[in-house]
This record gives sequence, C-alpha cells and structure tokens, in this order.
Amino acid sequence: MTTEPIGLAQDLAPKGVMRAQIGHADMAIWRSTSGVISAWENRCPHRGMRLSHGFVRGESLACAYHGWHYDCDAKCHYIPAHPELEPPSTIRPAIYSVVEKAGIIWVNTAGTATPAELPDRLLGLRTITMQCDLSTAAHAIASAAQTNAALFNGSVNDINSDQTILSLANPNGTDGICILFQQPLAQSTVIHVLAHDSYSQNELIAISRWCESVRREAERIMQSSNKVEPAK
Amino acid sequence: MSITLYNYVLSGNCYKVRLLANLLNIKYETVAIDFHPGKEHQSEPLLKLNPAGTLPILVANGQVFTETQAMLVWLAQQHDPSCSWWPINNANQLAAVVQWLGFSSRLSATIGELRLHSMLNNTINIDSAQHGAKICLRELESHLTEQRIIGQQWLTGDQPTIADVACFPYTALSPDAGIEHDEYPLIRGWLHALRSLDNFLTMPGIHELHELGSTIRDKT
Ligand SMILES: N[C@H](CCC(=O)N[C@@H](CS)C(=O)NCC(=O)O)C(=O)O
Ligand code: FES
Repeated sequence: MTTEPIGLAQDLAPKGVMRAQIGHADMAIWRSTSGVISAWENRCPHRGMRLSHGFVRGESLACAYHGWHYDCDAKCHYIPAHPELEPPSTIRPAIYSVVEKAGIIWVNTAGTATPAELPDRLLGLRTITMQCDLSTAAHAIASAAQTNAALFNGSVNDINSDQTILSLANPNGTDGICILFQQPLAQSTVIHVLAHDSYSQNELIAISRWCESVRREAERIMQSSNKVEPAK
Repeated sequence: MSITLYNYVLSGNCYKVRLLANLLNIKYETVAIDFHPGKEHQSEPLLKLNPAGTLPILVANGQVFTETQAMLVWLAQQHDPSCSWWPINNANQLAAVVQWLGFSSRLSATIGELRLHSMLNNTINIDSAQHGAKICLRELESHLTEQRIIGQQWLTGDQPTIADVACFPYTALSPDAGIEHDEYPLIRGWLHALRSLDNFLTMPGIHELHELGSTIRDKT
C-alpha cells in the first residue's frame, strides 16, 4: 500500500474533522485545538458511529453519538455516561500513519506514511472531486493544458511513473502547477491542485476556474462513454 | 417595536430569520405554526396574511413580509448600526449580497425540496433536484476558493452578511437531503466559521460546536 494524498493541510483547520476514503479504508482525519493531526479508522469502537461526525474538544475527538472522548493517541479517556470510570486502554479506534508535507496531508493505511517528493515553492490551491475515473481525468487535464497558453506552456510531465502526480509547466517553462491524484473510488476521482507561489491572485483564480472546466469536460467524456458502453 | 415571526421549527427558511435575529440580538415573538401534519400555514387565517401559503411570515410594526430575504434585509437595516450585515455603503458588495440572496433561493429549490421530500415524502423530481443541488454546492465551493485566494473568509468580504445567513441553513442541512460535505472542504470551513460566531443559534440538524455542554472534559 502506498502513501496517498488525502487533502490540503490548510483545509483542515484546528478543531476540524474530515472524512477520506482510500480504497476500502474509510477514515476520519482531525486536527486538535493545538494543531495535532490524526487519521483513524472511521468507526467508533463503542457502537460503530462514523468518527468523522465527531467534535474536537481541545486535544480530544468526541464521538457524536454517545460522546466518548479519544485523545491524540486514540485512547478512550472519558465516557460521559460513566464519568468516574477509567476506560480500559484497549478501547481505541484503528490508527493510520499520517504526515503533513508540502501543504498536503498524506496517509498510509498499511505502513509508515512517506510523502512523494514534490518541487519547491508550491502552495495548495484546492481539492476537487470529479465523477469520472482516473484516466479520464488525466486525459482531460492533459488536453486542457494545451489550450491555456496564458497559464501553462502545454507540457505535462509525470513526476512519478504511475501517473498519480502530474506537473504542468508555466509559460516560462518553470514549475506551474502540480496535480496529485488520490487513489480513485468507484465513481469518482479526487485531485489536489498545488500552484507555484509566483502566480498572481488573478492567475490563481483563473487556474481554479480552469480546474472546473477540466472537471466538466472529464464528466462529459465519462457520461458519453457510459452511454456507449454501460457500466459493468 | 413589535416583531412577530410565524414560525415552524424544522423549516430552514424560518431558521434564517431566527438565526439573524439571534446574531443581532433582536427580540421578537414567535407564533408556532403546525406546518406538519396540521398544514396550518394553508389554513384561512394564515392565508389571509400570506396568500402564498408559505412560512415564514414576519409582521414588523404592522408591515407583513412573506419573503425571507426581505425579512433579513429589514432586520439588518433596522438593527445593525455598523452596516456590516447589509452593507448599504458599498455598491459592489451590496450587489454581491443580493446576488447571493438570489443564490439562496436556488439552495431552497434544490436542497430544501430534497429535504422536504426525505422528511415528509413530498413529490418532487429527485434527479433534477439532486443535479441542481450539486451545481449549487460546486459553485459555492468554487466561490469560497476564490474568496480564500483574495484573503476573504465570507461570501462577499471579510465580514459575514445576510448573504452568509441566507445561504447557511440549506447548505448545512444538505446531509438531511442525502448530500454529504465530504467533497467540499471550503464549504466545511465556512460552515464551521458561521457556527463559531457569537450568538450562533442551532436548529434540529444543525447543532452547536460545543454540544456536549458541561460534559466536555479535556484531557490535561
Ligand atoms: N416565501 C419564500 C418561500 C418560503 C417557503 O417555501 N417556505 C416553505 C417552508 S421552509 C413552505 O412554506 N412551503 C410550503 C409547503 O411546503 O406547503 C421565502 O420566504 O423564501
Ligand atoms: S458510538 Fe461512539 S460513543 Fe457510542
């Protein structure tokens, strides 16, 4: 299992909780009030409620259902219905290895998270979900890169050989944007877009809108191919 | 000054009015209407006030309002001396606020309808409402992305306005309509910011960020 990007670090503020899926793993990722990030199996050990519906209380995550509190080591330390009880240390959700690097949150569900190497000076722009498979998304990105001379010079490079990180050069030929693909789900592909810090605000807005056009195009391609060849 | 809201607790539109009144510390009376199952909003006494047969209805110093957006404007204009919630001194921002008030109607027509359908089993065109809801949430997410790029946290600037209040309820309630927020990180951040405001008010389905009250215990 590889290390997957699951979101932009800036999209998970202190006290924030989010849900992410990698393959069959469903997880809750949360940031404590002081900034500590954790990624856990999205299942409360008590009755199985999704922990991504929970609330951050200082340095704990409280389940939305019966309020059991888990600390940053995933240990349950407080059960509201039995306030005097010291919960057994075995009550804990499964935890995943998570690190933040280059403005991205990286998770490995079966080992230590080791983020990919990325070019310097990239900043997180946005995460966007497309209702299409990964190759349709990659194809739509590559064709849209050709037609936007103001933002990109048309060249698309694979940063790694398996096509899960693409970089599009800016018109000066230096780094423009970097697109990270999260391992796709059955119906959708999540991409995380990073942009070089030399782009102006107006250019960043244009890149954000470019992402939306790419998504519309990818979903159009996907829909028309579904009509020809019904999903298996 | 007398303000009376004809109210139904589960209505997202009624909640917009209660939320703004709370945020601005405005005192008002409520008349509880048996919307479901009683259909009291479509009874003769209520139809005399509002022939459209909808809630909310606000009667403010004798003037009757039946459109939520008008109620928000009236409350803010009367009770916000800083002119930040209804920014009458800034033409661009004021127009942007009205733009997002219009957008809030699209949220009601899509997410609001889907929610009524799943709660009361009203007949609607589900596919078109779901498609419309997705278009709305994507537009909102993209707009908030652009706001972040220019360093603004709210829909029309660096302060919340009645546009944020108008768009908040149905966006927050979309899980009731079967649409989760997982795909929308900036919407999540904006909802969190709104719920963190002083004098925030809850409704069923939109709870407080500090819901557990006195049972909160931080490990120290
Ligand atoms: N007058 C419009 C519409 C308000 C509206 O549609 N309210 C819903 C309740 S949230 C309603 O009364 N629906 C009538 C019905 O479903 O019978 C507004 O204030 O925005
Ligand atoms: S299911 Fe989480 S506390 Fe009960």
